[in-house]
Amino acid sequence: MDNLIAARATMGFSLGFHIIFAAIGMVMPLLMSAAHYLFLKKKDPAYLELTKMWLKGVAIFFAVGAVSGTVLSFELGLLWPGFMKHAGPIIGMPFSWEGTAFFLEAVAIGLFLYGWKRMKPWVHWCTGLTVGISGFVSGIFVVAANGWMNAPAGFDWIDGAAHNVDPVKAMFNRAWLHETIHMQLAALQAVGFAVAGIHAFLYLRGRAQALNLKAIKIALVFGASAAIAQPFAGHFAGQRVAELQPAKLAALEGHFKTGPRAPLYIGGIPDEDTQTMRWGIPLPGMLSFIAFNDVDAVVAGLDQVPREDWPHVAIVHVSFQIMVAIGMVMALSGVLFFVFLKRRIFPHWYLCLLVLFIPLGMIAIEAGWIVTEVGRQPWIIHGIMRTKDAVTPVPGMVYHFYLFLVLYLLLWCVTGWLFHRQIQAVQKKFEDVP
Amino acid sequence: MTDIIVFFIGASLLLYVLLGGSDYGAGIIELLPAGTFREKQKHVINEAMGPVWEANHMWLILIVVILFVAFPTIFTTLMIALHLPMLALLVGIVVRGTAFTFRHYDAIQEPRSQRAYTLLFGVSSLWTSFWLGIIVASLNRGTINLEAATFWDAYIAPWWGVYPLSVGLFVASIFAFLAGVYLISETDDAALQRRFTRHAAVFNALVIVSGGLVFAASFIERESLPSRFFRTPSTIAAMALATLLFVVLWRVIPKRNALLTRVVAGGQVALILLGWWLLYAPDAVHTVQGPLNFYQEAAPHATMLQLVIALLVGSLFIFPSLFFLLRVFKSKQHPSGD
Ligand code: HDD
Ligand code: HEM
Ligand code: HEM
Repeated sequence: MDNLIAARATMGFSLGFHIIFAAIGMVMPLLMSAAHYLFLKKKDPAYLELTKMWLKGVAIFFAVGAVSGTVLSFELGLLWPGFMKHAGPIIGMPFSWEGTAFFLEAVAIGLFLYGWKRMKPWVHWCTGLTVGISGFVSGIFVVAANGWMNAPAGFDWIDGAAHNVDPVKAMFNRAWLHETIHMQLAALQAVGFAVAGIHAFLYLRGRAQALNLKAIKIALVFGASAAIAQPFAGHFAGQRVAELQPAKLAALEGHFKTGPRAPLYIGGIPDEDTQTMRWGIPLPGMLSFIAFNDVDAVVAGLDQVPREDWPHVAIVHVSFQIMVAIGMVMALSGVLFFVFLKRRIFPHWYLCLLVLFIPLGMIAIEAGWIVTEVGRQPWIIHGIMRTKDAVTPVPGMVYHFYLFLVLYLLLWCVTGWLFHRQIQAVQKKFEDVP
Repeated sequence: MTDIIVFFIGASLLLYVLLGGSDYGAGIIELLPAGTFREKQKHVINEAMGPVWEANHMWLILIVVILFVAFPTIFTTLMIALHLPMLALLVGIVVRGTAFTFRHYDAIQEPRSQRAYTLLFGVSSLWTSFWLGIIVASLNRGTINLEAATFWDAYIAPWWGVYPLSVGLFVASIFAFLAGVYLISETDDAALQRRFTRHAAVFNALVIVSGGLVFAASFIERESLPSRFFRTPSTIAAMALATLLFVVLWRVIPKRNALLTRVVAGGQVALILLGWWLLYAPDAVHTVQGPLNFYQEAAPHATMLQLVIALLVGSLFIFPSLFFLLRVFKSKQHPSGD
């Protein structure tokens, strides 16, 4: 493994690890606040039980999210000094606001977790809500920074250095809006469905069914609404990508040859050498429609892009397919949720489905980020700086990679084990509750 | 503009050392044999640190973010030359953060796993504070060399030597000392209070010994530290005052006035930090090629302006809420929550 590949792999899995905890850290506090609100309003102790249950999840996942985020802020410099030297001042604005939001979140979480008996109930509720809102806002800021890497703005690039830096323009770049909307919806739906699935599991095991049904409803009101909105947000993202990063769009569709009435493929594995799509089912004209709202529009293919500027087509295409497939399935089950909510009865098979869906949203998030980040290659700043020019000169990055791989795998195992014990404890507690 | 930002870096550093430092120190104290006190001590530490844990560690992130936004060359120079100690630091941060939280939130509290968490927490606290010291010591040694030809010169020599090692020890002792002082008034149990007082005294002695070691080491290594030190009267004054405060501190501790004790101990550490700062400011880092100065390495004006706005607006939110946090948890009349 050469230095560049090792650094990319390290960055990729550190972020892939962090994003799961970040998503949970953004959404769990919101769910918790909703349950807490219902308790304060209706005085039904079941909601208090739920709030306390979810609070434990928040505490554990928040801590792991915070340490993995700390690692990331160092890694930006440890792995990509060539990038940070120029990018730091330009995208500093979202990062500094993000820091502020994190800080507020960290203070609020201390107050919420330990403040049950020390504050007036509604003040205490507000601290919980603050955790959720500032987490959510900080997510928006980081993703805006990522948007800048895809659609750089707010500076002039002259002789390998940035001039006339405008941090405000850089933050509100052309990619920030679609990326943040899409990401925040993704977090809501992934976490909403995962939480609902866990409670569906407890429900099916016959534990505290009334309580678990309440939990499913809260989680899915958030999750299902987001899931239904997501295909629209995704379509919007696709259109922006078509405009900003034609090479990425062509790669994610496996679209090699420029032309009108471009087909959309369902499935299939693109072959870079023969420049063809294997085993895919083409839907003629659909890609043109998705990218430009017109079945006859000309869509630029990879043949318009110099070969050395291609991203890895197969990885991007397959990840994209996985994300979209999951998005469709989840949107559908989101619609079903509202139907069943209206009828006030959730069929047994639907609850089983929810259990099966626990990991789906997270898988889609990972796949989506792979589309975005691998699809941006070979650029670290699209069209401005190549990833290979940004990587650290420190040799032996492979060892860095292995070290963190082992560390994070261990962390996964321990977190998983802890979570398992949490659920065990919940099950035991509700052994005899009907 | 730069002044304000440098001030924020200094303030964050101070708060990180004072607040985060006592978290590290608590871990170090838990490494010591505690016999029958183990459970009680763990409980006190969980109660005292839990609510402020996340907030205390934000100061470090704030420093990192300010550095890469406002002083990108300083940031990248450090991240390249000190790659290995930074890596060691990160491993420590990950292990510490998770061990502390998992210990508290493990749903099934059994002695075996609890002991494992405590051990990990303690070892990683010592490890991390030690590397923090090494990094701090390497900033101004003038051994960072981005044009070096060999791996050793480029990535090991900048932080290798007796001097960084002794600063590592010095930082760990300071942290443990702070924790000892801080914990005394976190418990009502007289025996435990005596224990923490004893710890504070031992680590106080260690601070003095390892501080002497730092000086001796810098003489041995012919660092710029000693000659600089004697040419900077403000630093000498700060150090003298810090030493004087030790005497005051040990008169204050038996009075059992929590606030006063903490102010004195904190003031001491602040003076040590201030002395160090005055020694080198406004140079942030010394390399073989010369110093990197905050004013010369600052980002473009538009960036600095945005950062100042973010920091000031952020302070408007953060300081009141932080104050609220401390008030809610440090008022004694309430029974423990959660
Ligand atoms: C639950 C997660 C999830 C689901 C169901 C979907 N996505 Fe997605 N997608 C993401 C989670 C995600 C993401 C992880 O949040 C990404 C990565 C970067 C970003 O902004 O969002 C992303 C990126 C992303 C991009 C690249 C944006 C860019 O590079 O700027 C496109 C074009 C789409 N998505 C399109 C879709 C479409 C058409 C979907 C149809 C249903 C869809 N996504 C469902
Ligand atoms: C948390 C969600 C994210 C995930 C899962 C993710 C995933 C990845 C992956 C897989 C890579 C490696 C791509 C490759 O080299 O082929 C990568 C690279 C990178 N990402 Fe992201 N990313 C995320 C968000 C962000 C954000 C918010 C930023 C910055 C503001 C960012 C900055 C970078 C940088 C600097 C690289 C290295 C350079 C490069 O490979 O282009 N990422 N990320
Ligand atoms: C290069 C990319 C990133 C960096 C440098 C980074 C940095 C950090 C840092 C330093 C923390 C710890 C803050 C604390 O102690 O509270 C953190 C936590 C968090 N991050 Fe990231 N982050 C990155 C990517 C992302 C992305 C893509 C998202 C979301 C979409 C995200 C959302 C969050 C959230 C919500 C938290 C709060 C902690 C939690 O709730 O788990 N981050 N991140």
